[in-house]
Amino acid sequence: MTEALFAGMDQLFTLPTMATMLLGVVAGVIASAIPGFTITMAIVLTLPLTFTMDPLQGVATMLAVYVGGYSGGLISAALLGIPGTPSSVATTFDAFPMARSGQPGRALALGIWASFFGALVSAIILIIAAPPLAMIAVKLGAWEYFSLIIFAMTVVASLVGKSMLKGLMTGMLGLFIATVGADPMMGVARFTFDFDLLANGFPFLVVLIGIFAVSQLLQEVEDAEQTQHGKQLIPANVAFKPLDALRETLTYPINLIRSSLVGVFIGAVPGAGGSIANLLAYDQAKRASKTPETFGTGTPEGVIASESGNSATSGGGLIPMIALGIPGSAVDAVLMASLMVHGIGIGPRLILDHGDLVYGMFMAMLLAAFMVLVVCLFSMRLFLRVTDVPRSVIVPVVLVCCVVGAFALNNRITDIYLLLGVGIFGYILSKLDYPLAPLVLGVILGPIAETNLRRALMTDEDWTLFFTRPISLTLLILAAVSVAFAIRHRLRQRRSEQTA
Amino acid sequence: MSSQAPSQQTRSSDRVADAGTRRANALAHLLLNGVLVVLFGALFIKAGALPASMWEPLGAGSFPRLVLAVLVVINLGIMAQEWRHFRGASSAEPGLVRRWLWRHRLAFGVLALFALYIVGVPALGFRLASLLFLTLAQLALGVRRPRSLAIAAVIAVTFSFGLDWLFRDVFIISLPRGPFG
Repeated sequence: MTEALFAGMDQLFTLPTMATMLLGVVAGVIASAIPGFTITMAIVLTLPLTFTMDPLQGVATMLAVYVGGYSGGLISAALLGIPGTPSSVATTFDAFPMARSGQPGRALALGIWASFFGALVSAIILIIAAPPLAMIAVKLGAWEYFSLIIFAMTVVASLVGKSMLKGLMTGMLGLFIATVGADPMMGVARFTFDFDLLANGFPFLVVLIGIFAVSQLLQEVEDAEQTQHGKQLIPANVAFKPLDALRETLTYPINLIRSSLVGVFIGAVPGAGGSIANLLAYDQAKRASKTPETFGTGTPEGVIASESGNSATSGGGLIPMIALGIPGSAVDAVLMASLMVHGIGIGPRLILDHGDLVYGMFMAMLLAAFMVLVVCLFSMRLFLRVTDVPRSVIVPVVLVCCVVGAFALNNRITDIYLLLGVGIFGYILSKLDYPLAPLVLGVILGPIAETNLRRALMTDEDWTLFFTRPISLTLLILAAVSVAFAIRHRLRQRRSEQTA
Repeated sequence: MSSQAPSQQTRSSDRVADAGTRRANALAHLLLNGVLVVLFGALFIKAGALPASMWEPLGAGSFPRLVLAVLVVINLGIMAQEWRHFRGASSAEPGLVRRWLWRHRLAFGVLALFALYIVGVPALGFRLASLLFLTLAQLALGVRRPRSLAIAAVIAVTFSFGLDWLFRDVFIISLPRGPFG
């Protein structure tokens, strides 16, 4: 192991590799800061550029984009309230209110440090425990996957908004939207009504942009007085004090480590990824907090939980890929493709046949985490200039970027029509106090839920297996506990309001 | 006493306005959730016609039916809640909807421009449609002074022609060209 580690480091710490990694980090941060540009898109665009590189240089560059991307999503989530990627949905819950209350610099700095520690913890765990963790992750069958989705949906429905019923309604609506188009098992067209637009279903990225970006931007210009007098999105003197934020981040060590561990484990579950991890980490932080009522109002605990949770999935995602040849997410699949382009077979023998490459990848994760930290700390003052831009400029510009993001995904005009429809619907829902995060999660998780439910019952028609398999049962109990916890919290809140 | 009177009056009028807003809000919920109940009910029936599978106990329609059934129940639950709010609140002041629409005029204006832009992208091409949208939206949102107008023009050109160039020549993704391509 030591020999392979040093061989990997020897290949990694060369000027060309470190230079392309630095470029990759910058590209990842910028790409995921733009609503509509996901980490997957950034990685796909990077892939052709790595064909001429050495295998480790190529994959290290892509890992740099990957790690940078998880941190970049923070920027638009905190400053605009629009998650740059699905994995920053929970970041909007507290980072955005914090920025809105005049502390955008604090929100970003906390997020950067939390992201760094999340990536660091995941890289360390990756180095130490990749094979045993992969064995646990692979034991999850269709029953456990379905129960995991149920747990994730109940968590998000109970976390956001004032009414759990409304959270559940938008979550279920997301699940329904995901059923439009071809059935994932038989390919039967469902609810398409012979419209070409619906033949391939609703692309979740278009739904994400429409729901969050369009409705959020329209709310920004509701106040005619403020908008027409050149008011900025965040009217405040921007202070960016990274050392204060580091001290503040380290005052929540348990939150940081717990959220990172949640991120690593969820990242290691194939198909789950950052979109679930940030919500589960946020949920766990809220439950463990002494002041859960401050969550959603701009508490540092929420920002730290979400950002460390989503960044930690980058290392977790590599675990099943390296140990078993199963990509944990779409991004991991592209990483796999880049190795295969270089003639390297992925699977359990990877670590035996190419130990130097695997340990080089582990070290690249660590190096990328440090690079992201440095790049973000130096460039954040530049990003914070966004807060000086008046709404009259930023709203139209971001709307144009949304159109480009929606179109560039599949090169389809119909996707931008869909963007408009989804945006209007999202605006109506937000005006009626419906939380939007569960809807997007429902769209992302719907196909996974349906496929695993059907696969489980195809394997064995006995539905009681969902309750008799230990991991599945644990997840369902956790789902029930999260619902009960939310109901109890709401009842207490109502009682205290009535007393007041 | 005299200093309290206006604030009491304000609070009282606020309460009337709040009650009116709550009633209007409840009515909006009843309408939306009512429409959704009918829609989901109809889709539930339609999903029943989807083919079953010989190879698995659940067919193509089973999962959507499960989701739709839960959606109908949840929407009925929300309607029951909102019905209580609707009955409990006093009737709305006349002109509430008109005032609400006027307060949101800018958001609706931007939405209308955005809708025209979406329609304009395939018809005029990305560059021209974006240039027009960015110019008009910035004007609508209050850009008036000469310096701001100059900046608005630079932004409109950068994010229409510049973005098109970036995607076409750097990312090799061609945005819609339109007839002036």
